[in-house]
Amino acid sequence: MSIRYKSIKELSQMLKNKDISHPELIQETFALIEKNKNLNSFITLNKENAILKAENIDDKSPSLLNGIPIAQKDLFCTKNLRTTCGSNMLADFIPPYSATVIENLEKAGCISVGKTNMDEFAMGSSNETSYFGDVINPWGKNLVPGGSSGGSAAAVAAGIVPAATGTDTGGSIRQPASLCGISGLKPTYGRVSRWGMIAFASSLDQAGPMARTAEDCAIMLNHMCSHDLKDTTSLDENIPDFTSTINDSIKRTKIGIVKEFDLSKLDKDVVKVFEESIKHYESMGAEFVEVSLPNISLSVPTYYVVAPAECSSNLSRFDGVKFGKRSELASNLEELYINTRSEGFGDEVKRRILIGSYVLSAGFYDAYYKKAQQVRRLIKNDFDKAFKQVDVIMSPTTRGAAFEAGSKGSDPIQMYLEDLFTIPANLAGLPALSIPNGMIESKPIGLQLIGNYLDEQKILQIAHNFQKSTDWHLKTPNGDIS
Amino acid sequence: MDKKTVSTISYLSRLKLDEDNQDKITSDLENIIKFVDQLNDANVNDIEPLTNPLEKVAKTRTDAVTAENRKEEFLERAPKSNEDYFLVPRVVE
Amino acid sequence: MTWETVIGLEIHVQLSTQSKLFSGGSTGFGAEPNTHVDLIDMGLPGVLPVANRDAFHKAIRFGLATNAEINQTSSFDRKNYFYPDLPKGYQITQMTMPIVGKGTIKIETEDSEKIINITRAHLEEDAGKSIHDLFEGETGVDLNRAGTPLLEIVSEPEISNAKEAVAYFKAIRQIVTFLDICDGNMAQGSMRCDVNVSVRKEGETELGTRAEIKNINSFKFIEKAINHEIARQIKVIEAGNSVVQETRLYDSVKNETRSMRSKEEANDYRYFPCPDLLPVVISDDELNEIKNSLPELPEQKIKRYVTQINLDESEARIIAASKTMANIFEEACEKTNDSKLVAKWLVGDVSALLNKDNINIEESRLSSSNFAKLIERITDNTISGKIAKSVLEEIWSSGDDVDTIIESKGLVQIQDETVLIKIAQSIIDNNPNQVAAYKGGKDKLFGFFVGQVMKETQGKANPKSVNEILQKLLS
Repeated sequence: MSIRYKSIKELSQMLKNKDISHPELIQETFALIEKNKNLNSFITLNKENAILKAENIDDKSPSLLNGIPIAQKDLFCTKNLRTTCGSNMLADFIPPYSATVIENLEKAGCISVGKTNMDEFAMGSSNETSYFGDVINPWGKNLVPGGSSGGSAAAVAAGIVPAATGTDTGGSIRQPASLCGISGLKPTYGRVSRWGMIAFASSLDQAGPMARTAEDCAIMLNHMCSHDLKDTTSLDENIPDFTSTINDSIKRTKIGIVKEFDLSKLDKDVVKVFEESIKHYESMGAEFVEVSLPNISLSVPTYYVVAPAECSSNLSRFDGVKFGKRSELASNLEELYINTRSEGFGDEVKRRILIGSYVLSAGFYDAYYKKAQQVRRLIKNDFDKAFKQVDVIMSPTTRGAAFEAGSKGSDPIQMYLEDLFTIPANLAGLPALSIPNGMIESKPIGLQLIGNYLDEQKILQIAHNFQKSTDWHLKTPNGDIS
Repeated sequence: MDKKTVSTISYLSRLKLDEDNQDKITSDLENIIKFVDQLNDANVNDIEPLTNPLEKVAKTRTDAVTAENRKEEFLERAPKSNEDYFLVPRVVE
Repeated sequence: MTWETVIGLEIHVQLSTQSKLFSGGSTGFGAEPNTHVDLIDMGLPGVLPVANRDAFHKAIRFGLATNAEINQTSSFDRKNYFYPDLPKGYQITQMTMPIVGKGTIKIETEDSEKIINITRAHLEEDAGKSIHDLFEGETGVDLNRAGTPLLEIVSEPEISNAKEAVAYFKAIRQIVTFLDICDGNMAQGSMRCDVNVSVRKEGETELGTRAEIKNINSFKFIEKAINHEIARQIKVIEAGNSVVQETRLYDSVKNETRSMRSKEEANDYRYFPCPDLLPVVISDDELNEIKNSLPELPEQKIKRYVTQINLDESEARIIAASKTMANIFEEACEKTNDSKLVAKWLVGDVSALLNKDNINIEESRLSSSNFAKLIERITDNTISGKIAKSVLEEIWSSGDDVDTIIESKGLVQIQDETVLIKIAQSIIDNNPNQVAAYKGGKDKLFGFFVGQVMKETQGKANPKSVNEILQKLLS
C-alpha cells in the first residue's frame, strides 16, 4: 500500500493494522524524498536516526503520531542535527539543544525525517531567498511554493510526508499552504513555545502544523502545545483536545466577511472561488455577517515596521564571534562584524535589518516604531469588536494562486503585499488557518479562517466541516517533480 | 533617504552594501519607507502602544543555579577559540 | 575666576543573586573561563530570557533604603550595540520603566553632610569580559560574567567635587552591603562607577558640556580621575576651546583620562521594549514582605547597639561602619554573651591593627568565627587578655585557627590554684625585702609581685587568680 499522500490518521491506522511496519514506513518516506529531491524541499536529512528510531519504537503507544514521519522546518533547533534557517550564516550550525516543539513532537512518537528549506531567516513569501536554493511547488516546476515555510509546504503537498512543522510571522504557514493546496494553522500567539525557534520577530512568530487536513493539524497541535516555563511569552491557559469538537455542527455559526478587504480588487477567478465557498458554508447553515475592521489597510505597513525592527535586533547575535560563520576577511573587529554579516546574510535579510535599524533609530522611533505599535493596538481593538458580532472571520488566504518564480523579484513591496490577508492575525495574535478551497488554472488556492483568542477549536471545526463535504484537500499534483 | 543615512544605518547594523547593490538597496529602502509612511495618517491619540499581543504579566524564576558547565560544547562551535576563550581580533579601546 | 564642578555618578552594582538575571547560569566569581555559561547567556539562536525574581527583590530593598519610589510594574528594553562580550548584540536593561524611581541618600565628607538625590535605579544584565593582554593580536572573550544582574544607580548631577563623589560612592557601598544585595568587593568588580564631569564658571546656571569617565572601581581612582578631568576641562576652556562631549577612560598608571577610540558617539542604541519579556508586577503583599524582612542599616544598628547593648555611640559607629565589622561583632556577641568585651576588642586592638596595615576589615585574615572564638577563649579563661593580644597578632599574620595557635604555642592559661599558690609563695619567700616594704605601706609594690608571678609563668597565669592569691598570701 502506498504511503504517498496519506494523512496522519491514515498512516497511523496502517501502522496499527500492521499493513506496514515502522521501519518500512520510514524507508519508503526516504525513498520518496530521494525521488522528489528536485523539489529542493529539504536542507538536511536525518536518515540514520530516523531509521534507528523506527526500529526501536514502542508500537503499543496509543499516540496517533507514533512512528509518523514529520518534516521539521529548518528554523527549529534540533540537537546535534544541522539547523541553518535557510542561511549561509548558519550553514554549518549544529545546535546543542532542541526546540520545545521538536521535543514535544518526538516525545509523542514522531520521527523527524529532516529539516525543510525555507526563506532565509523566515523572511520571504516564495522560498526564493534561501541560501540553499529555491523550493519548487509540486503543482508546477516554475511555480513558487510560497514562504517562508516553502519546504514544509512542498513536502506535504507532494505527499512525501503527511505533515510538517512551519512557523508563521506574517503568513508563513498559511500562504504556502494556500499556494500548495494543503492545510496549515497558526495558533493563538503564545500557544506554542518559542524556545528553540530561531527568532525573526518575537512578538509575531508562532509555530504551527502543516498537513493534508484540518483534522491532522488538530492532532499535531495537540502535541505541539505545552506550558513551557522557558518561554515566558507562552500561555498558561488550559490546552484543550483540539480534535474534540471538530465534528460539531456549524449551523448558525456566524462568519464575518471583512468590508475593508475589497475583493473587487482581486482577480475574478479568486473572487469566484471565494464566493463558492461562502455558498457552500451557507448551505451548511452558517450565517454570514459583514464586519468592519477600519484600520486593516494599515496592517501591511504596520507589519513592515514592527517585524523588521524586532528582527534587526534579534539578528544582531549573528556576529561571527561565538557560533555560525565568520568571514575570512577579519583582520580587525570591524571587519569581522561587517564582512561576516554582509557575507552571511542575503539581500532580503539585509533590507529588513536596515529598515529595522532605521525605524528604531533616534529621531525616527516615535514616527515609525511607536506609531506602528499604536496602530497595532487599533487593529487588535477592531478585531475585538468584530468578534462580538461573529464567531470567525473568513477571507481568501492569498490574492491569487502560486506565481512564477522570479516574477516578483525586483520590487520587494509587491512581495510584501502577498501577505495582505494573513498579516492582521499575526499583529493581533489571533489563531488562523488556511485550507484548500478551489483551483485556478490547475493551481490550488486557499481559504482563511481567523478565530478569536484561544478559539482554535472553532476554526478547526469550521474547516473540518468543509473538508467533510468537499474534496479540494484531496486533490494532488501529478506524480514526481523531476 | 540620503547616502549619509544609509551609510549610518548600515554601520549601525554592521552591514556593507556592495557597489553594484548599493543603489538598488537604497532605492528599495526608500520605497519601503514611503510605503510605511502610510502610518502617518493614522489617528493614534491616547492609544497605548502594543508590544506583546498577550498583554499578560511576566512569569519569573526563583534564584537558583540550574546550568551545567558546557564549556567544551560551546567553544567547539565557535569559529575561533582556544581551550578557554572565544577569540576575536585584538580589540583596542 | 572661580570654577564650579558638576558631577553625576552612575554606579553599577552586581547583585549577589546565585544565578543570573535571565538564566540559571551561576554568578560565582573566579571560575574557569566560560564554565558558568548557560545556553541563554550564550545568546544562541532560539533562546529566551526568564527574569530572576530575586534580583527584583534586591533592587527593591535598595529602593526602600533610599526612600525611593518603587515601580511595582516595571519592564525591560533592549539597548542595541556590537561588542564581542555582548553575546546577543543587545543588552537587556530598563530604560522606560525602571524598578526603582527617585530616592535620596545622605553623604558625609570631612567638612559636611549633604543629601544627594538619586534619579533612578534599574536592573540590567552585565556583559562578559574581553581579555586583551593574554594572546598575541587577539582578544579572548569569557562569558562567565554575561547575564549577571546589575543594579544601575543614577545620581542627579548634584555632586560638587571629588571628595563628595568618593563619599557618595562609599555611602552607596555601605547601603548595598548592609542590605545584603552586593558583596561590595571592589577588587572583584562588584561595584563599578561611571562619572560624568562638567565645569562652569561660578554663578553660571547652565551646565557645561560633560565628559563621561567610564568604569572606575576604586575610591582612590575616582578621586584622582575626577580631579584630573576637572583640571583638563578648565585648561581646554581657558585656551578658548570647547569641551567635547565624549567618553573617556581613566589610565591609573599615567593618572590621566583619554578619549575612547571607538565611535561611541555615533552609537545610536535604538532602545525599544524587549518583546521576549512581559512586564514584571510586584504585588502589595510581596512588597510588604520585602519591607518587613529588610536587613538593618547602619543607623538602625547604631541605635540598637547603643540602646540595647549599652555601647558608647562612638564605639557603635565604628562597628556599624562596615557590614563585615558589624557581622563579626554580632556573631561574637551571640557566641560569648559579653558584648562590651567584644566591642572593646574590635574598637581597640582590631581597629589598631587595621590602621597599622592600612586595610579594610574585609582584606584582613580575621574571620568572623575565629574572632568569636578568640573572645570565647578569654571569657572561658583559657587565655588571659594579655595573651589574647598576642594570639590576635598571630591570627592577623597567619590566619590560623585560634585553638591551633593556643595549643601550638602552649598559651593555655594556668588556672590551677595549687600551682599558682606554690609559685606565689616561692616569689614571696624569695623577696623578703619587698614583702616587708609592701606590708609597711608601699602598696604599689603589689604590682611587683604580680609581675614576678607572670614572669615565672611566662604570662600564662590567670591574672585574676594571681591577684586573689597574692592578696591572701600578703595579708
